[in-house]
Amino acid sequence: MSYPTDPFLDPVAIVEWSIDTGLFDIAYSAWGWPIAEIVHFTGLCLLMGTVGLYDLRMMGFFRGISLAGLHKLIPFGVFGFLLNLGSGVIFVSSSPDQYLYNPAFQIKMTLIAIAGINMAVFYATTARSLRGLSPTDAIPRAARWFAFVSLSSWMLVIAAGRVITAFRPPAWFWCAWCS
Amino acid sequence: MMDVLAWIEQTGLSRFVREDFYAYFILLIFHAWGMAMLVGGGMALSLRVLGFARSTQLVRWRMVFPIMKIGAVLAIISGLSLLAGYPAKALTNWVFALKFACLIAAAWLVAHMAKVSFDKGVEPVGLVKLQAVAALLFWVGGVASGKLLLYTNEILMTSELTGDFG
Repeated sequence: MSYPTDPFLDPVAIVEWSIDTGLFDIAYSAWGWPIAEIVHFTGLCLLMGTVGLYDLRMMGFFRGISLAGLHKLIPFGVFGFLLNLGSGVIFVSSSPDQYLYNPAFQIKMTLIAIAGINMAVFYATTARSLRGLSPTDAIPRAARWFAFVSLSSWMLVIAAGRVITAFRPPAWFWCAWCS
Repeated sequence: MMDVLAWIEQTGLSRFVREDFYAYFILLIFHAWGMAMLVGGGMALSLRVLGFARSTQLVRWRMVFPIMKIGAVLAIISGLSLLAGYPAKALTNWVFALKFACLIAAAWLVAHMAKVSFDKGVEPVGLVKLQAVAALLFWVGGVASGKLLLYTNEILMTSELTGDFG
């Protein structure tokens, strides 16, 4: 079977980059892959435990816990995301054929982008209006929606990530941009 | 022991988990969601005990427990179903016991910190903070041994075993 040509992504060049940077050797060392998986899930727990909790608070749960106070935990979520990004780059760069054209991976990346854009718009438009809220004040409707989109995206990111192995090549090959 | 595992492998639930494409992956998704809620909530609590997000009232953090409990229920139901699918794989692996030891220790520490600190609204000091560090390590240990289950099993099914089980 022959694959269509990909004008944007070059899996061979990605693997070469992975080899040059040493990430490939890490991925395929004796315990490299399992350790990267542990880091990936630990990062995810940190992200969900802090950003997810903040989202739930902003959706109206846990009234009485200060929203601004809870926001102080967000840097741990950012750290968790960086752990995920680092371990994720190890996975994808060392075996791009398993990910780039995988429907679950593409959906996962789209959901991360949605979560990112949602976050950027939230901080640009709504975050400031929450500063003066007391721990028992009602949360404005717009903020509730941002929180709902954030939490749903991250939960679906976990789900999509969990099923990546179910959509392996060559049985699955998604490439909308290929010719 | 192996007779029991072999019997479990032949039950309808076990076959369903192994052979139904959707069942297996849906269980994995629920297991990941449950673990993220349980461990994520536990990590956030430990960070609060360590003194981060200090302007949130300690006594209110009890409200986070239901999220962890729902996560635990999801993780246990999906986990038991996955265990039914491949009982010998997990129950012949000491890492499986390690996973539970870590998670039980972490959960016990959280309950203990709640009793001595959250409920009284007393800002934690020395020993309690040390317990929070231990809880964080046990949560990570639970995640780590869970992930390692995929790489450390000696057998997948009892049918792979021949001869003396010892």
